[in-house]
Amino acid sequence: MSGIHKGVSRGAKNGLAGCHVCEKVSPVAVVHCPRCGSHLHLRKPDSISRTIALVIASALMYVPANMLPIMSIRELGVLTESTIVQGLVQFWNAGSYPIAIVIFTASILIPLLKITALLWLCAAAKGMVPHSPKVLGQVYWITELLGRWSMVDIFVVAILVTMVQLGNYMRVTPGPGALAFAGVVILTMFAAMSFDPKLLWDQLEKEATDGEIEPISKQ
Amino acid sequence: MCVCCGATLYQNRPASLVRVTSFSMTALLLMLIVHTAPFITMDAGSMRTTLTLPGAAKALILEGAPIVGWGVAIFTIITPLVLAGGLVYVCGPLMFGRRAPGAMVVTRWMSRTEPWNMIEVFLLGVLVSLLKLGHVAELHFGTGFWAFTVLMFCMAAAVAAIDKRELWDRLEVAGEK
Repeated sequence: MSGIHKGVSRGAKNGLAGCHVCEKVSPVAVVHCPRCGSHLHLRKPDSISRTIALVIASALMYVPANMLPIMSIRELGVLTESTIVQGLVQFWNAGSYPIAIVIFTASILIPLLKITALLWLCAAAKGMVPHSPKVLGQVYWITELLGRWSMVDIFVVAILVTMVQLGNYMRVTPGPGALAFAGVVILTMFAAMSFDPKLLWDQLEKEATDGEIEPISKQ
Repeated sequence: MCVCCGATLYQNRPASLVRVTSFSMTALLLMLIVHTAPFITMDAGSMRTTLTLPGAAKALILEGAPIVGWGVAIFTIITPLVLAGGLVYVCGPLMFGRRAPGAMVVTRWMSRTEPWNMIEVFLLGVLVSLLKLGHVAELHFGTGFWAFTVLMFCMAAAVAAIDKRELWDRLEVAGEK
């Protein structure tokens, strides 16, 4: 196990909190960070419940995001509605494999991976699955890094809606799926932000000392 | 190195304040061009449409997706503006050891808005759309597109040049004078 170094005392045990905004370490008793004025917490408040709630909300939104059309195209009076998967299949069939892979990754794979990763992180922080915080910390970091790229499909809709306004010949309008999909991206981003990776280390420490110390997440 | 997770804690970034200020000033100037000059022009038969960033957000709002439209406006226009403007405001005076009034609040807001800056994602969106539209009509890149590409690099360079901890330390020291 990539354990905690012996002899290293972690701040929370001594009542020291690192500011979530400017990273200055202060006694948690002063309530507000003396440097930047943000509220001080030993750990982000209700981190796991908040993360789980946001992840569940985004998982629910993921269904309409993929089932409902993100845009509709009216070409010479004929209306075609297009979902994310249909757009993807179109690129694939047209032989644009690289772009199809990019869209698949950004729109389908990343949201799913993010939802799974966040659930896994929460389970690990609760001690329900064995874990190495080092690896999971990196998982968390990647999750935060990749999340924004899912927005690409929304931007594509925005651009097509703006450009394809050719009167009766061809028009593109946004569909309800776009709202749901934007919701998925935004909610997963908030979920990743509300998770506190320090909880992974707390859990490890708790396991190592067989629960002798009080869990610090009470704050 | 962090004793727990082994992440790098401190990296020495030379002349970080000068770099941040100059890159974000460039970014602010480029934003002027990006928001006014056409991004891409499309000719289809006798019709011509142009894309601008504010135009894209406005089209969504008018075509029945106001929430998504505002989202696009926030992620591609407002956030980069707050970020670049805030960096100039905070780091400019700090080069001379001064703390601008309200610099702490501005810096706090910048660290909050940073993850929502999505201009590089928008650029990928532009490329995907071009491939979708390529067979429909004739497309021309405008000044706005090239300015946007440079803007993306400037923003990335500005953000990469900041050492968050050093910035806060300097702000603290400057405030004590």
